[in-house]
Amino acid sequence: MASSSSASGTVVTERRGIPGAQFVADVQTYLTQSGLDVNSALAFLQERLQQYKLVEMKLLAQQRDLQAKIPDIEKCLDVVGTLQAKKGTGEALLTDFEVSEGIYSRARIEETDSVCLWLGANVMLEYSLEEATALLQKNLENARASLEVLITDLEFLRDQVTVTQVTIARVYNWDVHQRRIQQAVATPTQE
Amino acid sequence: MLRGGGSDTEMTWEDQQNINNFGRLNNRFHELDDKIKIAKETNDNLEDASIELITDEDVVRFQIGKVFAHVAKDEVENRIEDMKEVTSQKLKKLQDEKQSVVAQMAELEKILYGKFNDSINLEED
Repeated sequence: MASSSSASGTVVTERRGIPGAQFVADVQTYLTQSGLDVNSALAFLQERLQQYKLVEMKLLAQQRDLQAKIPDIEKCLDVVGTLQAKKGTGEALLTDFEVSEGIYSRARIEETDSVCLWLGANVMLEYSLEEATALLQKNLENARASLEVLITDLEFLRDQVTVTQVTIARVYNWDVHQRRIQQAVATPTQE
Repeated sequence: MLRGGGSDTEMTWEDQQNINNFGRLNNRFHELDDKIKIAKETNDNLEDASIELITDEDVVRFQIGKVFAHVAKDEVENRIEDMKEVTSQKLKKLQDEKQSVVAQMAELEKILYGKFNDSINLEED
């Protein structure tokens, strides 16, 4: 993606498909360089802001999904860990589980070397306890890493939103300032 | 956020970065607040659970994942102690971070209000 050439020196021009917001050091220079009049510039910036908001909503939804997925994986690890702990003892594990909403039944889980993991897409595979632990651990790490990247993306996005909001305010203020100057210049001649 | 008096105070990249950082810190502050609330609730729940444990039964139904496993009371006590330890540590870390965030925000507020005075509004909507 071509970097925006201006005297302002933005550090990052885009990140993973999100365009960077150009920092405006001087409004006059910005308007001259882009060749836009005030209203067009404001319209462009507002549209950019809308696009940012859309992307933000998408990322926030992804973040919520991941944040729900991580405790799930941790619980699975807990269960596999418990089964593994029971392995040496020779005792069976008695558990109460939900058969249907509000209805529970007792299950007796004998010593076992393997568990079945639900992989999604109606697929369930049997794994040894060690393999299951390794797989779940890997999934957990991947989920945590994805979450990190996502959070950094969101931070970058919010910065661009702030820069754009500030630019909109400054362009607007500059316009007000210009009109005042013009009025001040115009009034003496009317008298 | 930047109100117009019609004056055009010069804004540098550094100012913009200060504003960006303030925004980030503000978001982080709210996130931390929510997380602290959840951590405190978890702590309370664990406390209640410990109190509930003071019964005559030796076997307690302890929730692991979605099932309730029959676990010996001693082991449950240990588990709950561990969980309480983990949650208190987490809570302390969150509270420390919140303090640091608040301090940083105060610093930035000082700088930004110092330069822009009335032209900027850093309050919550």
